[in-house]
Amino acid sequence: MEQIKITINGKECVCNDGEYILKVAKDNGIEIPNLCDHDSVAAFGACGICAVEIIDNGKGQAFPKLMRACATKAQNGYVVSIDSDRVLRSRKIALELLMSDHEGDCLGPCKLNCPAGTDVQKYLKQISEGNYHGAVETIKKVIPIPASIGRVCPHPCEQNCRRRLVDEPLSIAFLKAYAADKDLEGDTFRPVAASSSGKKVAVVGGGPAGLTAAYYLTIAGHNVTVYDAMPKMGGMLRYGIPAYRLPKDVLDKEIAEIKALGVTFKNNCKLGTDITLDELKTDNDAVIVAVGAWKSMQMRVEGEQLDGVLGGIEFLRDISSGDGEKPDLKGMNIAVCGGGNTAMDACRSAVRCGADNVYVIYRRTRSEMPAEDIEIEEAIEEGVDFKFLTNPSEIIGENGKVKQIKLQVMELGEPDESGRRSPVAVEGKFEYLDVDMVIMAIGQTIDAVGLDSIEKTKKGTVSANAATFATSDEKVFAVGDATNRGASIAIEAIGEARKCADVVDSFLEGDITPFREKFVSKRNDSDVDLSDKPKLERVKMPVRPAEERKHDFDAVNLGFDDEQKVMQEAKRCLECGCHDYDDCKLIRYADMVNVSPSRFSGKKNINDVERKLRVIERNPNKCVLCGLCVRICDDVAKQGILGYVGRGFSTVIKPEFNNDETISVCANCRKCFDACPTGALKLIEY
Amino acid sequence: MCSCNCNTSNIDLTLLKPVLDKYAGVKGSLITILQNAQEIYGYLPTEVIYEVANATGNSPAKVLGVATFYTQFRFKPVGKYLILLCKGTACHVNGSEMIAQTLKETLGIGDGDTTDDGLFSLSFVACLGCCSLSPVMMINDETYGNLTPDKVKKIIEELRSR
Amino acid sequence: MKITVGQGSCGIAAGAAKVLTKLESFFASEKIKVGITGCIGMCWLEPIVDVTDDNNVLHRYVKVSEDVAAKIAQAVVSKDFSVASEYEISEDDNSFLTQQTRVALRNCGLIDPENINEYINIGGYSALKKVVSSMSQNDVINEIKVSGLAGRGGAGFPTWFKWNAAKQSAGDEKYLICNADEGDPGAFMDRAVIESDPHSLIEGMLIGAYAIGAKEAVVYVRAEYPLAIIRLNKAIEQARAMGFVGNNILGSSFSCDFRIKAGAGAFVCGEETALIESLEGSRGMPRLKPPFPAQEGYWHKPSNINNVETFANVAWIIENGGQAFSAMGTEDSKGTKVFALTGKVKRGGLVEIPMGKTLREVIFDIGGGIKNDMQFKAVQMGGPSGGCIPAELLDTVIDYKKLGATGAIMGSGGMVVMDETTCMVGMAKFFLDFTAKESCGKCVHCRIGTKRMQEILTRIVEGEGKEGDIELLEELCEAIKDGALCGLGQTAPNPVLTTIKYFRNEYEAHISQKKCPAKECSNLVIYEIDKDKCVGCTLCSKKCPAKAISGEVKKAHSIDADVCIRCGQCVNVCRFGAISKK
Repeated sequence: MEQIKITINGKECVCNDGEYILKVAKDNGIEIPNLCDHDSVAAFGACGICAVEIIDNGKGQAFPKLMRACATKAQNGYVVSIDSDRVLRSRKIALELLMSDHEGDCLGPCKLNCPAGTDVQKYLKQISEGNYHGAVETIKKVIPIPASIGRVCPHPCEQNCRRRLVDEPLSIAFLKAYAADKDLEGDTFRPVAASSSGKKVAVVGGGPAGLTAAYYLTIAGHNVTVYDAMPKMGGMLRYGIPAYRLPKDVLDKEIAEIKALGVTFKNNCKLGTDITLDELKTDNDAVIVAVGAWKSMQMRVEGEQLDGVLGGIEFLRDISSGDGEKPDLKGMNIAVCGGGNTAMDACRSAVRCGADNVYVIYRRTRSEMPAEDIEIEEAIEEGVDFKFLTNPSEIIGENGKVKQIKLQVMELGEPDESGRRSPVAVEGKFEYLDVDMVIMAIGQTIDAVGLDSIEKTKKGTVSANAATFATSDEKVFAVGDATNRGASIAIEAIGEARKCADVVDSFLEGDITPFREKFVSKRNDSDVDLSDKPKLERVKMPVRPAEERKHDFDAVNLGFDDEQKVMQEAKRCLECGCHDYDDCKLIRYADMVNVSPSRFSGKKNINDVERKLRVIERNPNKCVLCGLCVRICDDVAKQGILGYVGRGFSTVIKPEFNNDETISVCANCRKCFDACPTGALKLIEY
Repeated sequence: MCSCNCNTSNIDLTLLKPVLDKYAGVKGSLITILQNAQEIYGYLPTEVIYEVANATGNSPAKVLGVATFYTQFRFKPVGKYLILLCKGTACHVNGSEMIAQTLKETLGIGDGDTTDDGLFSLSFVACLGCCSLSPVMMINDETYGNLTPDKVKKIIEELRSR
Repeated sequence: MKITVGQGSCGIAAGAAKVLTKLESFFASEKIKVGITGCIGMCWLEPIVDVTDDNNVLHRYVKVSEDVAAKIAQAVVSKDFSVASEYEISEDDNSFLTQQTRVALRNCGLIDPENINEYINIGGYSALKKVVSSMSQNDVINEIKVSGLAGRGGAGFPTWFKWNAAKQSAGDEKYLICNADEGDPGAFMDRAVIESDPHSLIEGMLIGAYAIGAKEAVVYVRAEYPLAIIRLNKAIEQARAMGFVGNNILGSSFSCDFRIKAGAGAFVCGEETALIESLEGSRGMPRLKPPFPAQEGYWHKPSNINNVETFANVAWIIENGGQAFSAMGTEDSKGTKVFALTGKVKRGGLVEIPMGKTLREVIFDIGGGIKNDMQFKAVQMGGPSGGCIPAELLDTVIDYKKLGATGAIMGSGGMVVMDETTCMVGMAKFFLDFTAKESCGKCVHCRIGTKRMQEILTRIVEGEGKEGDIELLEELCEAIKDGALCGLGQTAPNPVLTTIKYFRNEYEAHISQKKCPAKECSNLVIYEIDKDKCVGCTLCSKKCPAKAISGEVKKAHSIDADVCIRCGQCVNVCRFGAISKK
């Protein structure tokens, strides 16, 4: 056959005369997006995504129309563009239209709602198979300290777990901790760091954010040193979260793993005091600021300066710092102001330090409390006295020491922006509590010592770009509680730091690549029918009885003891995320052109998922009607079991009809499954 | 396919035999065979689709695919009076929307449905080609033109009382 | 004395069959035979009875009822035509015909379509004789080339070129196919030709088959045209019996068989590759082009496809010479074109004129202007693939290029006239309802794109349109034009693009002011009773299905806009013109 030359995106390609452009490109290592083309069947031309622009037909003329690369034969001298503006525009709209009619979850709500984007579905599957090492490998793609996080995370994954619509969410966090513990027991998973890049990075702050950034930058081959003001690494996980929630030996083991990877730790080194930002900048190629938010916010009430008034952060830090020596609060009455997790940590720690009476002052009711419900529950069990609908209005002292707290009685008014009903003072109605200590746990803020040269937000936090984490200093990046919105949960800080590590890596390579959220297809809970799912009980975490645990800082949770139950629990996963997400051509292309299909949102062609083909489940709502399964079943498998039903928008591909049973004639060749460009076909166990 | 509660086992497939014999071996006759089958049964029962698939060597999926592509084919028995309302351009311009509304209200059914008493089936069709009489509908083989809502109601009343 | 009754589909719909029976009953004893003809194309005057008296004077009676038929019978028997003269066609109405130049429709309404002899008597099949006895394939193709005949189905591609391509394709087995799947809503000229003059089609096809070397000819007819199928079948049988169809036609070495295939209801089958799929018994989903049907068509053999009107011109061209045909028309477009003139026009029917006349001449001179003396607003040409041409472009000359420049197309010849009461957004929605329903579903752009356009248009006419919707529509239009696989999809945006181009203000009024300037979109109008005109007859309140009208007898009534369902029945029943849309 005669050989000809064509040019695709500037690359000269030699090919046989009359070969399709798509194939020529493929043979030359150029990918032209397409959904309906397949080597084993004839060109079809349905998806239109492979449309290219022929800017020269070899005779100096351009084609007026876009041409489908799958069905246009190459002719000598053709100059083809596969990513001109016009081509991209056309491809984008085609994909937006497809996505506007696409109904499915690329990712489970657990992964979508995890700030770090942990692949929950995958590691639950691995846990259900007893593959803890694999599970930890999966988790450590985004979280370097899973045993710790599994114990303390307020788990947005569980709050959004779709099984909650059937019975109860999976015990995701504890399963993660279980797998991580198991893995730490034996041959622990440890990634291999890339060969050294010769670049140096300083991370200021050894909390979850700093450790995470350090971990992933080290894996990327950079030389990372973490500077921390405290004697040990761990940040708030060590000095904020009490040991009864996160035993320090667990944290130690995980931090040791990070160190073992090659990260250098420098403790007792406070920015602005022991070392300056300028010094760090001079000695390093990049600096990441992850100093956290270590100052409790003031309540701005009279008497705040009295002896015996202290911040929740400071209170917890004092307890954690003292080498196992807990302060003795025997005989004291303590008021903790606030309704968040720090307030819970403070009140429960106060109980453990022997206080006589511990009160929690909260201006709304229990149902509005931001703290995790289990924390409130356990605090009540441990004897904490909750004073709901009260607000500190004055701390009354005697001889410069706290004596009493005056509480304004509140009632609930109209809902505010957050949807919570806002508290309103009941005029003239007060209560008094005799207390010896007042702990303020109403929020925390950054201690910005040594960061004078960096631009701040109005709140006083470091201003960092949401996509690049860059600060006003081009060499300095910032993540975690110290930035923008301020303090949040550990997993948020970890998520940011993980992304920041990638950005800094690209920065060190010389070309900064901002983080970009991938486009995914999502379903609302209300679109999901779970009526056929059987109810399965959630495995309970065994805890020590309140009477026993309230006297010490040992772990409250005893940990799962029955491996069978753990695997059973992991099997409760509904596997909401698409099995094909990693291989799905549709989503890859959609993300590539940055689609926004919501502008075309309209009716979707919704049909029942069916399982007539013994080993294959067909989900027509993810089908793009490329017809590959039909054509392959006809022309390659010679079975002819599949066909189109209907016409136009409501067309659906179905196996033989009117037969509720599986189809006996299917040869089980799975060729349709192999060819499907999306997750519409799924292998099932037969 | 048949979603009604009719007893489909009553379908006499021997009626189909002359048609299948006539087109045996004539390639490309699938649509013609289905048209003949619909003439016989009034619609295409599932058994008939399988029988046609069997006789023509096509897979049932292919036969169903063809049948569901064309609006002429029905999969449910049709009423005694089949009303075809023209939705052509001229009819649209001359108020076919109002006629459609009137028919839906008077019969209590929508496009493609049959009344519970089995008397009327309603189907909106592409241009019937009687544009000068628009708006137009056809009931069985008779054409009714220059329709108004009142006229439509009278026609339906008249057919009901027959 | 010769009496004929026009028996086209729409004539029959208007009562022509009853008139025929009535007349036959009168003359059963008189031994006067009442004949039939097809459709003369004066649809608004149906039923039509032609009486040619012994002096060879034609008396054409229009809008004939059974009572009028009795009068006509009386006139015939008494030979005193004055008794029925008031029912004869007016001179004004007759000008509808006298202003036309008929080639494709030359025999329509004049001969009995069910009797081949009538066709032969006026010179039918002599072109075929000439071709098989004295012309080569190239001679025929050349004659067609000289004529400048272009495909009348819509695209306007030179007929000779397609014939030549099919002829030059290798292989003995070739097919000639007639596309009679006339699907454009508002077009019915092909049906009229088949019903009224089937032999013109058959003869044209036979000549085409001879030219390309096809031994088999197939007519793909819409299933919705039962009468056309019956008459065409009859005509083929008669032609076969007389040796025009079959082996060794007219003693020559040319053999060609004829077949009819009935479509089953799918507009997309008007697209030639979808038509081929359908002919082969498959779903009518278009194939990729190339290969073109001339290389690889029906059963993957070289095939040529033309539409009915194209073939109907062929015998005339052979008879009268290509030059006679090309002498008519414009530089760009030769010969005549048939239009189906309908909508809000006084005289609706079939109009055949030489290319080069203006839209105004067709609509106002031939069509008599707008019904009820309303204002002309736009004319829709080319059906779902075409566009709306506004009043300011009424003087546009009818040829392929000039019409194309407006954004509309010649199309198959549907010409739907609209007046000020037609909402142009509603019109665009109407066409998108159609194309979305008729989309085969194969390609993404058409399957989902037309659906999305339809949804956007629907929300606009329902008063739910959003700022940016016009731009979104335009963006979709461009993408679909560029990305759809076949002609149906690629042209589906045309009705939207032209209405946006010429009537953007109407779109804007719907979206930003929630008003329908044509007062057609029911969600956007309110009905009001003029207190001064209302006499309190209570008729409207009795008629109102929503019980939205209240008022005492003999006192002005009022409509509760919240309850009103905007059915418009009150307007229709009010005898005092007191109710209007706002």
